[in-house]
Amino acid sequence: MQFQPIYENGELFLPKFELHMSFNQSIGMITDLRRKQLLLNQLADHNQYYVLRAGQNEYMRLTVEELIAFLIRVTERNERVASLMDYFDLREVRKNKIKDLTSSKRMYVTLLRVFFAHQPALVLEEPYFYLEEQDRRQFKRILDDLSKEKQILILTSNLEDAMISCDAIYRLNELGLHPLDIRDSDEDKQEVQKQDEANITLKKISTKRKDKIILFSPPEIDFIESLNGSILVHVGGENYDCALTLTELEQRLLNSGFFRCHRSYIVNLQKVREIITWTKNSYSLRLNTGKEIVVPLSRSKLQELKALLHI
Amino acid sequence: MSISLRRARAIFVKDYKEFSRNYAISISLIVPILFAFLFRSAGPSLPGAIGFLFNISLVLLTCLVQACLIAEEKERNTLRTLMMTPATTLDVLIGKSALVFVLSALALAIASYVMGYEPASLWAVVAAVVLSIILYIAVGTICGLFSKTLLEASLSVIPAAMVFTAPPVAPLLFGDYPILKVLDYTPSIQLVQLLELPPGFMTGDILKPLLIISAWTVVFSIISVVLYQRRLKDE
Repeated sequence: MQFQPIYENGELFLPKFELHMSFNQSIGMITDLRRKQLLLNQLADHNQYYVLRAGQNEYMRLTVEELIAFLIRVTERNERVASLMDYFDLREVRKNKIKDLTSSKRMYVTLLRVFFAHQPALVLEEPYFYLEEQDRRQFKRILDDLSKEKQILILTSNLEDAMISCDAIYRLNELGLHPLDIRDSDEDKQEVQKQDEANITLKKISTKRKDKIILFSPPEIDFIESLNGSILVHVGGENYDCALTLTELEQRLLNSGFFRCHRSYIVNLQKVREIITWTKNSYSLRLNTGKEIVVPLSRSKLQELKALLHI
Repeated sequence: MSISLRRARAIFVKDYKEFSRNYAISISLIVPILFAFLFRSAGPSLPGAIGFLFNISLVLLTCLVQACLIAEEKERNTLRTLMMTPATTLDVLIGKSALVFVLSALALAIASYVMGYEPASLWAVVAAVVLSIILYIAVGTICGLFSKTLLEASLSVIPAAMVFTAPPVAPLLFGDYPILKVLDYTPSIQLVQLLELPPGFMTGDILKPLLIISAWTVVFSIISVVLYQRRLKDE
């Protein structure tokens, strides 16, 4: 399925992207509320997609059994109510009215509508959000069975929810669609931990703020600056005091992709987006941290940086 | 667009169960019967009672229930999921309307029996009432489509009630202006004329009201179906 780009206030809010869905592989997409709505609005084709939105409600005065019977008849399927009630594991509550169910069970019954869909693709918004553990397991089982014949896309803002039943997970933001390789990164982490358990404590940078000691992993840090004799570590737009000197920090962070770009600056090269040339002898580095952050770059360090980046 | 009786019946049964358990709405079933007892005790001396009874019942029962059935589905977003099933627009509308039709016909029959009403021409009255019920179902559908919640639906019926029940009493309220002659072509006045037909009537006396009512019915039914499809596409 293909999605069109959407601009808001002149900025790209939802980039154009394409998603290839296949059977036996349900896809999870992690994104925020606004983007979820925009995506769902683009899936209006009733012959292609069965869309179950988070605000879906149910016929409150029917009993569970009557509702399933209604869904069977209105979708003209040939299943028997009794066997489906067993399959859905709703035997015990079959005579209860929907409004008398617990909220988790009510959501579970509502979600069962996807089972009756005739469309080739099912799109669910936040299906697991209101479900309790047992209902989650039940619904996951039903989705797994469904995925043999249908393409399933789950939109959620919660990684854990996506991990329950999705085989492939993507994160969608203003920069586009990024696959998350969960299984591999888990294995990688374990290997890394085994390899250098001793080094891990060394790599953390300890900072102080209001009598609290806060530890940062090097990849979190945007840049470090020396200002009026104190060392400030910048993380996500905030700064924290550090007791180490810039030289000590440079040594420590050398292997983590950091670079002493100026007498009083160390920058995380992973976050550098652009090298700005102001004049022939004056340069800056622009970071891609969301906020507009520019770090000065010494002329003498430019050659060193170019060599490092193979430019 | 295909119509499947099986799907329409499933919607009929579902709506019947919902309706019968929702006392706030199903209480409107007793409106015609209540009025009938009221007027019966006033005696046959009350002119226009039967006309008023039919017109008010058609709004307070037929129109209101249909509007509430549609608005409730809209409120719970179940209409949207119904659209994703094989059930077509006509399946849904026929299923719902059939329920309201049966309820209205039943209540009106009981009410006229209680009143001891005897029409001059039974078939003409039955035809006019059937057409009127369909007309008011269409009006109710339109009311339901314009409201987002059950509460809005029950309020949106009020303007419809004014427009459709006022014409017979308009001359009493405002005096006999020539401009009010236009109101003679409203379905409610035509229904009243048919209901109070004197015994020695001509065929033309039956035909004209029936034609006018059926014209209204056809126009409003088409409007409601078109509006239904358009409103739901926007959602």
